[in-house]
Amino acid sequence: MRIVTEHLSYIYNERSPFATRALDDVSLTVEEGEFFGIIGHTGSGKSTFVQHLNGLLRLPSALKRRAKRGDTVLTVGEFDLADRKTDLRALRRKVGMVFQYPENQLFAETVFDDVAFGYKNFADGKPSQEETEAAVRDALTTVGLDYEAVKEVSPFELSGGQKRRVAIAGVIVTKPELLVLDEPAAGLDPLGKQEIMELLHTLHSSWCKTVVIVSHDMDEIAENCTRVAVFAEGRVKYVLPPRELFKRTEELLALGLDVPLTAKLTLALKKRGVEIDSDFTLEDFAEKVLARRRTC
Amino acid sequence: MLKDVSFGQYYPVKSFVHGLDPRLKILFLIGFIVAIFLAKEFLALGICAAVLFAAILFSRVPIGKVLRAVRGILFLVLFTAAINIFFYQGERVYWNGPAVLLQWGIFRVTQAGIVFSAFLVVRLVLLVVCSSMLTYTTTPVALTDGIESLLTPLKWIRFPVHELALIMSIALRFIPILLDETERIMNAQKARGADIGSGGPIRRVRAIVPVLIPLLLSAFRRADELGDAMDARCYSGGKKRTKYKKLRFSWRDLVGVLLLAGVIAGVVLMRFYPVFPL
Repeated sequence: MRIVTEHLSYIYNERSPFATRALDDVSLTVEEGEFFGIIGHTGSGKSTFVQHLNGLLRLPSALKRRAKRGDTVLTVGEFDLADRKTDLRALRRKVGMVFQYPENQLFAETVFDDVAFGYKNFADGKPSQEETEAAVRDALTTVGLDYEAVKEVSPFELSGGQKRRVAIAGVIVTKPELLVLDEPAAGLDPLGKQEIMELLHTLHSSWCKTVVIVSHDMDEIAENCTRVAVFAEGRVKYVLPPRELFKRTEELLALGLDVPLTAKLTLALKKRGVEIDSDFTLEDFAEKVLARRRTC
Repeated sequence: MLKDVSFGQYYPVKSFVHGLDPRLKILFLIGFIVAIFLAKEFLALGICAAVLFAAILFSRVPIGKVLRAVRGILFLVLFTAAINIFFYQGERVYWNGPAVLLQWGIFRVTQAGIVFSAFLVVRLVLLVVCSSMLTYTTTPVALTDGIESLLTPLKWIRFPVHELALIMSIALRFIPILLDETERIMNAQKARGADIGSGGPIRRVRAIVPVLIPLLLSAFRRADELGDAMDARCYSGGKKRTKYKKLRFSWRDLVGVLLLAGVIAGVVLMRFYPVFPL
């Protein structure tokens, strides 16, 4: 699903002493098929932006917008979110949203019931037991859990990593076309992180054509994303492929953002007169360094 | 949506009322409530309303914000008014016309009923406005400090005043956190197609479960973590603890005391020597 936003602004607690401008004239486009990254500080507007994508935060009505001179555009696939009458249910079926620490949203008595929750909510009419079972089995298998072993277990008895998988299964059970994830690997150990990222790639090549991921982990971004948007103080600073973006290591550091390890090394080497032109993934960087050594 | 819950929220500006000693504000609130309940005529309520209005003006809290607190009890107000209009038994005549304006079965609309229910509505609104003014103009911390200080005499009978105050301030502190958390969980479940806040009463209650369970779990988890954190810093009850902010009585407080004590005394006096009795 293609995402187009133009001049999107959002103010929390408007007209009160708590008013904070979370988004300020954000314009950006995510093409179908992308693995799109969003980085930025806490409070930079990333999460606010992402919540617009499935209508959890709404644009002000057209009337108010006209009064404010804005000509905001926000479309996700065929859904026009500037239109108040958009069918949010249809939209949310196609746009899966995995929040930060999604394991905190588990509630049902068994893993099966929890994963089936979304499926039943979005189904047209009442789905048959077989249909539900097939969908839940599919989702649980995709996230790398053994369906037969976990379906009757209480989600609260699982380990942290397993809980997160169940939570993700509960979102992808409707086979969304666009999957939005807010820090999907936060709080996991390195192996767990790697597994989650592998899972996202599997999903990206199967059900969810477009993936948008919010992350603090620059290595994760450098390794996985086709393009990256940098948010700062509610504005979009850059939208670039990681390869281009992390060439601006110094600017990113000035914004108070971290950069991948490879970018730091590239910068350090550059200061010593060694130019390495890699795409900032660990493998490519290592190869380029080795190649460079051979030529010296 | 949940952020619209304005009753009991601090409104952060600097003003005369904000600067008053919290102990004083609590005592005034109590005095004011007593006065409102003792008031037997519109004039007394009017004086209370005027004082309250002045307090709102001096506190620089927008009137709209104050009135929003009333919205929360709108149903209660309307219900009380309706009951009294239809069932009040008084026969007094206040203006030219029949005492009983309408009679239909057991329902009876009388002049006295209309006047009396208007009186009740004013009284309810005043009660809500004055108590929400306390929370608008006093930070939760100041409020609990004030309560702790006022309850100090109870320490003599070994009542755990400090612990009570601590529980209160933690509870108050957690309200916004839990509201945030509720919103987050609601969003997560909405993203999974949960239909919250629509449909009949049974569907509504059922729709709460996916929100309530994660919320309770997270509340317990937070409580556990907070307990551990306090333990780790060797927190141990009330004895020998000093205060970061000492409460002090200042000239503004004296002005406040004199003013309000006068009003409350006046209103109480009017109960025994009514001017325009109902």
